[in-house]
Amino acid sequence: MDTKFSDYFSVKLMWSRIPYLVKKIPITLELAGLAFLVSIVIGLLIAVIRYKKVKILSPIATAFLSLMRGTPMLIQLYVAYYGIPAILRIFNSWGANIDVNVIPKMVYAFFALGLYQAAFTSETFRAALESVDKGEIEAATAMGMTYGQVLRRIIVPEALENALPGICNSVIGLVKGTSLASTCGIIEITYQNQILAGRDYRYLEGYVALAIIYWIITIILEKIFKLVEKKFRIPEQPKTVEEV
Amino acid sequence: MAILELKDIHKSFQDNVVLDGINLSVNKGDIVGIVGPSGTGKSTLLRSINLLERPEQGEIRFEDITLNLPLKGKERKSVTALRKRIGMVFQKFYLFEHKTALQNVMEGLITVQKKPKKETEQIALDALEKVGLKAWKNHYPKHMSGGQQPRVAIARTLAMKPDIILLDEPTSALDPELVTEVLTTIKAIAEQGYTMLLVSHEMDFVSKISNRVLFLDGGKIIEDGTPEEVFRHPKSDRAKEFFDKMNKLKEPEFFI
Ligand SMILES: Nc1ncnc2c1ncn2[C@@H]1O[C@H](COP(=O)(O)OP(=O)(O)O)[C@@H](O)[C@H]1O
Ligand SMILES: [Mg+2]
Repeated sequence: MDTKFSDYFSVKLMWSRIPYLVKKIPITLELAGLAFLVSIVIGLLIAVIRYKKVKILSPIATAFLSLMRGTPMLIQLYVAYYGIPAILRIFNSWGANIDVNVIPKMVYAFFALGLYQAAFTSETFRAALESVDKGEIEAATAMGMTYGQVLRRIIVPEALENALPGICNSVIGLVKGTSLASTCGIIEITYQNQILAGRDYRYLEGYVALAIIYWIITIILEKIFKLVEKKFRIPEQPKTVEEV
Repeated sequence: MAILELKDIHKSFQDNVVLDGINLSVNKGDIVGIVGPSGTGKSTLLRSINLLERPEQGEIRFEDITLNLPLKGKERKSVTALRKRIGMVFQKFYLFEHKTALQNVMEGLITVQKKPKKETEQIALDALEKVGLKAWKNHYPKHMSGGQQPRVAIARTLAMKPDIILLDEPTSALDPELVTEVLTTIKAIAEQGYTMLLVSHEMDFVSKISNRVLFLDGGKIIEDGTPEEVFRHPKSDRAKEFFDKMNKLKEPEFFI
């Protein structure tokens, strides 16, 4: 008997898989969004610590970066997944009273994802901080701004702008990274596909459908960031001079 | 009455002694021109007054604020208090590139002086008007000419109503044809009774607007007097040589 291409890959089946996967997109985005918040806050913190070469904290931050970049995301997820409950149990044995089962799987996942991404985002931030003109910092200081004010009003806004392309990459990385969260038992789009394919053995159609979905999300995010970047960028052309 | 007093200020960079015991007392309303060869510490002197540089030794007194150097932890607050009342215009202006001219001028009023937004905008517009750039308020620095940028920097400083304005070679980064517009702006401010310390190589200009000129060399003030005294009748050979050289540059054979 002849085998047809559609025996291996049915386009029709692939299309019909997509709506089932799309239903779980909110979980994927929620996970990516929460991880993004973690990565931005921690990444900025690490970047400022390293930019200011804060004593004691700076070498700790550097060691953290090395660890995060030197180990696979998947392994980190497993360590978080099994490690955090283990640590909590130790606390409990000391008299704390935390119900380990109450912590949602989501928390392990977005924390692990966020920390991992923070290691990369922090380098984006640090480069951006270092690109802020020292003269502008001096001008702001000479006005009588405290260092905190200079940081808030001059350094961070300018650095954020410089960091936008890097932040865009980081968001895209996180969205793709959420597919690993299936290993923590979170039913996002990748896990959803495993479940469906487990029933009809149509793995290939499922994975191609998944690829299309991730790709489209990425394209949309890129478009959004392009718009944001444009909004922040100083226009090429000067405004016309107002009549006085 | 002296508004600013420096006593025995010493500042070195590694083993390069740049300020070697500066004593200076500036009266309210003084326009003090500071001249001298490049690399003698004119910028360092201005930057020491608002503590952008940290001298190792000496005392800075500005009205009711007294700072004994080197600074101790508690005096950090006084440094900020002092900076709030001393304005500075830098050689390279250091405008906030990501802010418009108006936002540049408003920044200090909002963040440092905590004035209400509405009032801030009016003050900033007035300051821009004084330097003739009100119509350019929505322009970013990169869209402004070399002559306009220092004027925005001057407006940014003026808007804060500082008690003293420090100007560090505000025209030396400019093309010759742009110098006049900036000098005109500075002259207008000087005539309003501001206290100013002006480092400049524009000897004619310094001589015209200052009531007092300092000649700095080797980390010390070696001439201190009226423009007439310092430029026409310098006591030291170093100053004489320097002015001779400057004058030679202006002689006709150097114009082609
Ligand atoms: N941040 C610095 N680090 C090391 N040396 C410096 C620094 N700033 C200035 N100097 C040195 O101090 C001397 C005086 O510099 P400066 O005050 O800029 O002179 P001027 O403004 O009179 O041209 C120069 O020899 C310069 O090289
Ligand atoms: Mg200088």
